[in-house]
Amino acid sequence: MTTLNQRTSALTAIVLNNLQHQHDWTALHPHTQPNLPRTLLYGLPPKRLYVHPDEQVEIIRAEKEMGNGGAGIPQEAELEWVLPLHLSEKWSPAQFAAVFDALDARPPRSREITKEEEERSPWLAYKGSRRGKRVLLATVQDDSTVTYYWMHDGLVKPRQN
Amino acid sequence: MISGSLSSFFVMYKTIQRSFFLTFFTDQCCFKMATSTSTPTHPPVRISLIAGRYLVFDIDAVMVLRRSFGLCGVLTGTMPQNPTQNLFLSMPQELRAEEARLVVDRGAGYVADEAGDHLRLLKEMSSGVGEKRREGYLRELREKRVAAKRLFDEEKEAVRRMHEGKRGKGKKKVQKVEEGGGGGDSLFETATAVQPAPEEALPAITPSTSNAMLDPAGTSGAIADENLPEPSAFYRELNKRGYFTTPGLRFGGGYSVYPSDPFKFHAHYLSSCYGWDEKIPMLDIVTSGRLGTAVKKSFMFGAEREEEEGGKKRGEGEVRMFCVEWAGM
Repeated sequence: MTTLNQRTSALTAIVLNNLQHQHDWTALHPHTQPNLPRTLLYGLPPKRLYVHPDEQVEIIRAEKEMGNGGAGIPQEAELEWVLPLHLSEKWSPAQFAAVFDALDARPPRSREITKEEEERSPWLAYKGSRRGKRVLLATVQDDSTVTYYWMHDGLVKPRQN
Repeated sequence: MISGSLSSFFVMYKTIQRSFFLTFFTDQCCFKMATSTSTPTHPPVRISLIAGRYLVFDIDAVMVLRRSFGLCGVLTGTMPQNPTQNLFLSMPQELRAEEARLVVDRGAGYVADEAGDHLRLLKEMSSGVGEKRREGYLRELREKRVAAKRLFDEEKEAVRRMHEGKRGKGKKKVQKVEEGGGGGDSLFETATAVQPAPEEALPAITPSTSNAMLDPAGTSGAIADENLPEPSAFYRELNKRGYFTTPGLRFGGGYSVYPSDPFKFHAHYLSSCYGWDEKIPMLDIVTSGRLGTAVKKSFMFGAEREEEEGGKKRGEGEVRMFCVEWAGM
């Protein structure tokens, strides 16, 4: 008999492996907190995974002003939260709300963005003070397929895919 | 022949109405929040509850709802004999039950039990209470008959002219005979004769509407608030934040949520509303998220927080919303 704890830790292990070996994530760490229902992960994707549409507008504006021959502003990846789930699970809005309430928008060890930096380059605020709470839902199926979906806390307008 | 003229009239009406919508409804990007305490500057919006559907028949009311309350409803009107299935239908506008309730709660209008009210008003007209209303109604009926007469005459005249032209082309002899009979002059005579006709000459009509019985400033037949469906906190919150919603089935959700008037914007979210402790299968979240991304939207779901004891009552709690989109990996 496996306990619930063992099962969720197996789930965490599958997601961690998948991120590390299939998606080349680095700096992966499990994260536990007494008010969290299970162990979450946080880590660094190989390239930036999420750019808020308003941030994109800021970046394009800044690139235009710089006008250095179409060379874009390099986009450094940032640490992201990952919530491992199994496809057979059923979560209520209350449970998702509890996860978001327990988390900071920025995972531990995220690079600090100072006020001066934000003033100098407004798009950086979306990595700092203006970053909304978001979690990468990693849904595992029995055949070990893992699908990744963003979940944002609150109303966040969609990206222009 | 008559139905032909009516349908062409209808098409024309729809075209006018469409351009009218586009020019007048969209000049305001965001609707201004009308607070429930502000005194309305428009007559109360009459929402007719007919066979369980909430319908608005007055174009001015439709404009008020759209401009000031962020309600676009669904236009449902079409020709029964020639139904169209495109987006550009016409009056009446159908509202969802919660939209109707919102209008009532904001003090902008009322929901009327149309069948009951209709019978009551008719009965009153035959007693002394509704004497004035009776006169107004009869006047309105007469005006309708005059209008019908004008329409018939124009139609007749157009047909006559058409046949005359045909005959003129084919056989010159017949034309000569007609000229002798003063056919050219009679054309102008009938055109002027289209003016209001004496009572006896008016056609009999079966009135299909009875709105002349209603006082536009009144709230005849209003249903009490407590007999209207419960408001959904989720929808209320969206409306409060200035979002427009339309039925969401087209994009595979409960609502399609627009950042402003749907004439100007694409929907940002397809959304569903759940209970605070309702268990959502992960597969639903994944499929909806995937579907949303496929139509360049985000899947948004929300629920009203249910307080433990002594909390706010239903419909007034905090609404939490979450957005799901494909992560691209």
